[in-house]
Amino acid sequence: MSVFVILYYTLLLGASCLAAWFNKRSAFLLIFSLTLVSFVLGIVGGVAALRFVAISAGLLALAAMVAYAFREFLIAIASHNMAKELRTAPLTAAFGMFVIFTYAIAGIFAPWIAPFGEAQVISSAFAPADETMLLGADQLGRDMFSRMIYGARNTVALALAGTVLAFVLGAMAGLLAATTGGIFDQFLGRMSDVIMSIPSLIFALLMLSIFGGELANDTTSFWLLSGFAVLVGLLFVTAVAEGNVLSWVIGLAIMAGAAIAFAGGFLVIFNPSEIILILVVAVIYSPRVFRLTRAVAGNVVVMDYIEAAKLRGERRWYLIRREILPNSAAPLVAEFGLEFCFVFLLIAGLSFLGLGIQPPTADWGSMVRENATLISFGELTPLIPAAAIALLTVAVNFVVDWMLYRSSGLKV
Amino acid sequence: MGDILGLVAKRLGLGLVILLIISVIIFFMVELLPGDIAQAVLGQGATPENLAALRREMGLDQPAIVRYLTWLKGAVMLDFGNSIVTGASVSQTIGTRFANTLFLAAYAAAIAVPVSIILGVLVALARNSIFDRVANVVTLTSISSPEFFLGYILILYLAVKTGMFPAIASLREGMDFGELLYRTFLPALTLVLVVTAHMMRMTRATIINLLASPYIEMARLKGTPPWKVIVKHALPNAWAPIINVVALNLAYLITGVVLVEVVFVYPGIGQALVDAVSKRDFPVVQAACLIFAATFILLNLAADVGAILTNPRLRHPK
Amino acid sequence: MTKKKDVLLKIRDLRIEGYSDETWVPIIKGVDLTLHRGEVMGLIGESGAGKSTIGAAAMGYARDGTRISSGSIEFDGMELTTASEADRRALRGSRIAYVAQSAAASFNPAHKIIDQHTEAPLQYRLKKRLEAQEDAVELYRRLRLPNPEEIGFRYPHQVSGGQLQRAMTAMAMSCRPDLIIFDEPTTALDVTTQIEVLAAIRDIVDQFNTAAIYITHDLAVVAQMADTIKVLLKGEEVEEAPTKEMLDNPQEDYTKSLWAVRSFQRPQKARPEGAVPLISVRHVDAAYTRGEKILDDVSFDIHEGMTVAVVGESGSGKSTTARVITGLLPPMKGEVRFKGEPFPPSYKDRTKDQLRQCQMIYQMADTALNPKLRISELIGRPAQFYGGLKGVALKNRVDALLDMIELEPSQYYNRYPTELSGGQKQRIGIARALAAEPSFIICDEVTSALDQLVAEGILRLLDRLQKDLNLAYMFITHDLATVRSIADEVVVMQHGRVVEQGPKNEMFTPPHHPYTDLLLSSVPEMDPNWLTTLLEERGVDNVGDAASARIAHDDPKVTGAGV
Repeated sequence: MSVFVILYYTLLLGASCLAAWFNKRSAFLLIFSLTLVSFVLGIVGGVAALRFVAISAGLLALAAMVAYAFREFLIAIASHNMAKELRTAPLTAAFGMFVIFTYAIAGIFAPWIAPFGEAQVISSAFAPADETMLLGADQLGRDMFSRMIYGARNTVALALAGTVLAFVLGAMAGLLAATTGGIFDQFLGRMSDVIMSIPSLIFALLMLSIFGGELANDTTSFWLLSGFAVLVGLLFVTAVAEGNVLSWVIGLAIMAGAAIAFAGGFLVIFNPSEIILILVVAVIYSPRVFRLTRAVAGNVVVMDYIEAAKLRGERRWYLIRREILPNSAAPLVAEFGLEFCFVFLLIAGLSFLGLGIQPPTADWGSMVRENATLISFGELTPLIPAAAIALLTVAVNFVVDWMLYRSSGLKV
Repeated sequence: MGDILGLVAKRLGLGLVILLIISVIIFFMVELLPGDIAQAVLGQGATPENLAALRREMGLDQPAIVRYLTWLKGAVMLDFGNSIVTGASVSQTIGTRFANTLFLAAYAAAIAVPVSIILGVLVALARNSIFDRVANVVTLTSISSPEFFLGYILILYLAVKTGMFPAIASLREGMDFGELLYRTFLPALTLVLVVTAHMMRMTRATIINLLASPYIEMARLKGTPPWKVIVKHALPNAWAPIINVVALNLAYLITGVVLVEVVFVYPGIGQALVDAVSKRDFPVVQAACLIFAATFILLNLAADVGAILTNPRLRHPK
Repeated sequence: MTKKKDVLLKIRDLRIEGYSDETWVPIIKGVDLTLHRGEVMGLIGESGAGKSTIGAAAMGYARDGTRISSGSIEFDGMELTTASEADRRALRGSRIAYVAQSAAASFNPAHKIIDQHTEAPLQYRLKKRLEAQEDAVELYRRLRLPNPEEIGFRYPHQVSGGQLQRAMTAMAMSCRPDLIIFDEPTTALDVTTQIEVLAAIRDIVDQFNTAAIYITHDLAVVAQMADTIKVLLKGEEVEEAPTKEMLDNPQEDYTKSLWAVRSFQRPQKARPEGAVPLISVRHVDAAYTRGEKILDDVSFDIHEGMTVAVVGESGSGKSTTARVITGLLPPMKGEVRFKGEPFPPSYKDRTKDQLRQCQMIYQMADTALNPKLRISELIGRPAQFYGGLKGVALKNRVDALLDMIELEPSQYYNRYPTELSGGQKQRIGIARALAAEPSFIICDEVTSALDQLVAEGILRLLDRLQKDLNLAYMFITHDLATVRSIADEVVVMQHGRVVEQGPKNEMFTPPHHPYTDLLLSSVPEMDPNWLTTLLEERGVDNVGDAASARIAHDDPKVTGAGV
């Protein structure tokens, strides 16, 4: 019996006794079942297993402390109303916010944080970690750590752009369908049914097989972007202008300008293959957003206050802007987080398959693939970018879970 | 009963229409390519003779509608033409691989479905307890992790470090069933982890929703013992939602299988699809996409039909 | 009626807490209750008074999210708060039974009614299956269910609401319990259906000498059913007394306010001679898309400055008529005229001025006011929209409107609807309608979701506004007390037809159209003997659904007789 084992059991048993003494039922149940599990684990896996449990528990405690401190920090700096909301956040949600915050910092300040350039070769392939290379080198001898930091910027920015586009298209269509009803509503509903009955990864692969080759150039992506913008613009103009011819003309003119500016702007930020990826993702996920927005807005539209506004003669745009949106904002924000996770996982999966973000751009999905061979030597390296992906989606999901709970008011 | 048959028939018809529309999408997307498929395959440097030859071979000299109908007719009879890259028959290459994928998915489902439903019901009964909260965090984490993360963790700890299972799920002719199960254990386990988490959460939500209904309270207030409340009052009404949960997650398995096959180098249809996409082997891409979409639709259909068949209001019309 | 026998249920200083917003808050704050064998006690109070919670607690049952924190519940000598779960369960169904508010939701849709009925007797091994079924049929017969032999073998969704409620009462009786908890059993039913259920419940409780706790918010109903009445307010007892005493001589102010029957009454106005009616509904047929006809040749007039009450049960087409007038549902046939000019059938084709003339006040103020807008915008928007008011002028207008509805402008200007009480919200709804400066307002059950006193305040306010602004009202309601106090003319509707119409005083004096007669006679009155007298007068088979089904549509007094 090593000192560690004795200490381990003393601590667990002591803690369970204390919990029982102070009538903390759930804490006691948790600690004592952990003790019982440890007996089995200790016999099967030996000291190593117990050590693993101890380290995990330590990490969890650390995460809880970080989460607690971060929540208190947010409460301290937030306004009165926000602080009241934040106080209801469970530790998991606070931890999620902390992780998102960290990723945001890493992404925004990537060039200043990363010690080396994104594609800079600084040593031999798969060189082990040392003081200058915290995580070692990848298959071409580039610094893993720097690429991780840049990856935060590239992968997240791409997923965010894709989600935003999917949301703009899906939510606009959903709101319009809910306020218009009739054939337009039916048609969009059926269309989203069809698109959603192709599994998203499969649909993405299909589209990438077509747009992935030489079609991924500046001209094509410009036209595709403009096309997308025109589609969204048409929805907007329909919502605002209604029957008025003059408004239509003005709206269409503004829309054309905005579409070109939008396409140009995107081309400056992303390269063509990334733009294709963003658009593919936006097209795949907008039906899901549409369906949710339609459902949420559908619940609002049947309210008497909407009827009152309609009978007053209010125009559709006022209904959407002042009556429906404020009352469906909470579930939509939560859904944005959820969709972001799906998009992020899809992009990471595509990159992992070598069909998403193309080298030399640093990206977590492709980094897993590039370093996968190391796994057979028992190295952790390929797990690090994979863990980074998992951590972010977990974090977002924790926050979303809390927001959904708040917005639904469910006390289950 | 006529009502039910009508509904089921209607639903089946709708599924068929959707499948048809999807076949149109899958086929005509390829038409979006500049020039045509032959140009895309041979690249910019192709000689006009080669192009013309390939076009003739692929029937590209005919109008698109005719080609679609020929393709669709072939697809119905499971003939998807020949691969542009290898020249082999698509159905033959994909056929065995599809069987492998189905085996993997069935393997995973056979473990995941009973485990997750039982766990889901247990967690629902113990709702708001500490175990419920722990389960919530664990399942949320599992759902949020990409399949390849879980896959590589399993490889690292169960294959490389301990050597308990093979890291690569290679299949040979004439393996006995036990060995097959052993060799494909890790990919199946990866799928199980992801799908179980999903299914557990959905089952939990379903059961909690059900237990809140007034007739459950009525049963309790009639003095019905707890086990009987679950078995006699909750379960008959839970079938529809549970069938729904299972079908949805099996459909989800279909997508997850692609990444897992690549991680474990498993000879399934998912890997064939990924290869075909990077080699731009369109007949294979089209065939694989159609098969995936058809399976997906079929499972959703099964969920709907199951829900219709188990609904007492529909089974006993007024 | 009072029976002084041994004590069956004794609750002392009961406290129950509910879980909300991460803390336990008290719901029941120390209630005592003593119930004797064979006694029927009415628990009455507004929503949130804790009536249902006490009802469940009497069975030793705490709903999910609630817990019994202290106090004692003694049932026939057995202390329920400390008894084991198994012991408590053994009481339920056999000695204490429960009848829920919504029978449709409380029957398991997956099993036949009779199988659910026999579950408890079989569970407790009181009877064999066949015996239990025979007994069920016997109970169905006693409760005057149609086809007693056969009805139990149907599934719940195949049986109507009023019948299900009686089937549930039969189910509660299946083990001949000592105590039955009736939790608002008739609240979801129409008045004519309610009467059958009330009669059936009262008879059967009497026959088996069962004690009962009858939970309701309807005073007139409890007066028929209960021997003693206990009044609750926010989890505390206000007072308790035998029914007669409680009705004649309430002690507490709160009880008196509940008892205060519409004291408000205003003089009835007559139509101006030869004037063109403000709103004229002419031979309107209407249906929702692909549905059955809901309105069938509906015609009536509403004159300037007058109040027309439209009464009828759910499904009679009252609200649909309102939708036709506002233009939400264009009629299939016929038209709506405004001051003699035809109104475009759809609101989309009406001019801003036409829309302004006709405003609406809704039943549920909660869903009628956008919870994300401030009062200033809720009321200000119509003034801005129709009148083009801006800045200071708009602010002044909103202040004036708030004054009109008797709310202090400075206090309410910047608040959100969720911060207001039900009555205040309804006032904001009125102010929003007034902001458009209309000549005609549709009031859709505006008082039915409110407590008596608040409702009366709203009626007074509406009456004052009518005098000041010369408004015409169309009052949709099922509450005849409201009709008595505010209406000038009455339109009675059934199955989408107008069965009778005319000035109020004529409508309330016989001879009536048979349906009007049925409707008038079915509304419970405070008199504890009302139900007994009524049943004696009309006979058991002449009330409720059976009676309403027998009414012929071609009666001479039908349609347009008053025009």
